[in-house]
Amino acid sequence: MNQPAALAATGVTKAYGRQEVLSGIDLAVAAGEVLAVLGPSGCGKSTLLRVLAGLERPDQGRVEAGGAAVTRPSPERPMVVQGSTLFPWLSLRDNLAWGPRALGDRKAGAIVDELLEATGLTGSADLLPRQLSGGMRQRAAIAQVLANGPPLLLLDEPFGALDAQTRLRMQEWLIGLLADRATATVLVTHDVEEALLLGHRLLRLSHRPARVVDEVRVDLAPPRGRATLTDPRFVALKASVLAQVLDA
Amino acid sequence: MALREVEGDAGLDLGEVLGPSSEIATRRPLSGWRRVLAGLALPAVLLATWAVLSGTGVLSDRIFPSPGDLAHSAHDFVAAPRRAPVPGVVPFKGAAVRHIRASVGRWAQGYAIAVCVGLPLGLGLGLSRWMAAALDPLYQAVRSVPITAWLPIALVWFGLGEGAARFLIFIGAVSPIVVATADSTARVPRQLVDTARMLGTRPRDLARRVYLPAALPGIVTGLRLGLTLGWTSVIVAELSGSTSGLGAMMFAAREVTRLDQIIIGMATFGIIGLVGDVLLRTVARPFVRWADA
Ligand SMILES: Nc1ncnc2c1ncn2[C@@H]1O[C@H](COP(=O)(O)OP(=O)(O)OP(=O)(O)O)[C@@H](O)[C@H]1O
Ligand SMILES: [Mg+2]
Repeated sequence: MNQPAALAATGVTKAYGRQEVLSGIDLAVAAGEVLAVLGPSGCGKSTLLRVLAGLERPDQGRVEAGGAAVTRPSPERPMVVQGSTLFPWLSLRDNLAWGPRALGDRKAGAIVDELLEATGLTGSADLLPRQLSGGMRQRAAIAQVLANGPPLLLLDEPFGALDAQTRLRMQEWLIGLLADRATATVLVTHDVEEALLLGHRLLRLSHRPARVVDEVRVDLAPPRGRATLTDPRFVALKASVLAQVLDA
Repeated sequence: MALREVEGDAGLDLGEVLGPSSEIATRRPLSGWRRVLAGLALPAVLLATWAVLSGTGVLSDRIFPSPGDLAHSAHDFVAAPRRAPVPGVVPFKGAAVRHIRASVGRWAQGYAIAVCVGLPLGLGLGLSRWMAAALDPLYQAVRSVPITAWLPIALVWFGLGEGAARFLIFIGAVSPIVVATADSTARVPRQLVDTARMLGTRPRDLARRVYLPAALPGIVTGLRLGLTLGWTSVIVAELSGSTSGLGAMMFAAREVTRLDQIIIGMATFGIIGLVGDVLLRTVARPFVRWADA
């Protein structure tokens, strides 16, 4: 691939105290590409994402976004984690307007209306976050960071806490949203199915300290969705990745 | 920080102090009329018991005056014609407005200073681990000195009068404001701050846009505690040579053993403290409603 990388990490290493968590991670995400990162529980996936977001500095190695070194969080590469990141004292509408307002767009009305529409939350615009369901909150949290139109999105198990049906609906929604906006994405998950359904490419991490084990191209025809789950190529891919994960 | 100590004093709900991030489930409060009914029942029973005990002579009026005597004195306090002031004498008859105005005025001034000092100090302590580590031991030590122990030094520094009174009320009110503000600021979830930064909020705006609103429910609790403790300090402050104010009136009454006047002073204190708290809560309510369970 010769497109410029939206985000690239080289040799990223990080330890907490004497415990090494990340060990020489290399990865790159092209513009508009969804990179799924799959790894066992506790291997350092969230830590990796925090480093990519600029919320933590690596001990060694480099992270670059758009050619510039990443040293702090930026609206260009926001991260959404499991559980709400909405401001509990603000209505949904004001939560979505936070980003544009922080960047100087006083009104932010049009962007917010469009996002409410895209998330199917128009009718809940004036509710407080605690008045929303878990799934609505998670969609809203993603919409909140998309309001600034970031070229890159970092998602840390965004649907981990949802029931299976809601999760599938949310995954379909996210696939459409990311495709429409051509938003490059790093999606961290420990769910093989989710990784293959959403990812264009899949990066498998080892147990702690996390290293890149292998990389799998996921060549499945768009549009992906619930029908993909029964596509024979998807089923075969899932079986082979699952076998590797279980043998590790 | 030692919020629980303050909390224990005032019998507050833990969930209310810890705010919405708390995992502790809070039960829904009783609805309006039930609450009023429950709140009035106990005073009504006590009043009836008191009337019976006084009427039958079981309760001597040397220990506690009867409801009738007390009502009579209360009427005197509020509505009797005022006498010409005699220097050095603290009046009782018709002096209610004068004493209440003096006490509430001192309270308001001391409390205003406490808020202006306590909020920024608490925010600083909550935001800066260095500031907290440097100031906390000293602060904890100073704060364990009871308000009455501040009276002598207040008199030396400020002399008899208003300065000493304001200082003592300030000392009484500032502690819970600082502790609650620092504590609830330090508890603001990191995720909220990270999100704000990733949405483009400038670091110097975080205190005002994220920490302050997120900590507000806890801060309001501190402001309420401060208001109440400031009010209890008024009575100590009025030992510093005031000839006006409810505290001054009560001490003058003690010298001539007027139990009825002392009790009226106490009741007035209680009612005004309650009214102050209700007012503060009413003003703060719209800002912290989001945190209601
Ligand atoms: N701030 C921290 N201080 C110390 N250790 C930490 C910190 N954050 C994470 N760790 C440790 O680093 C390791 C990796 O944590 P991380 O949260 O990145 O894993 P994860 O792959 O996201 O796990 P999960 O699948 O459960 O979400 C764990 O052993 C954790 O205890
Ligand atoms: Mg994690």
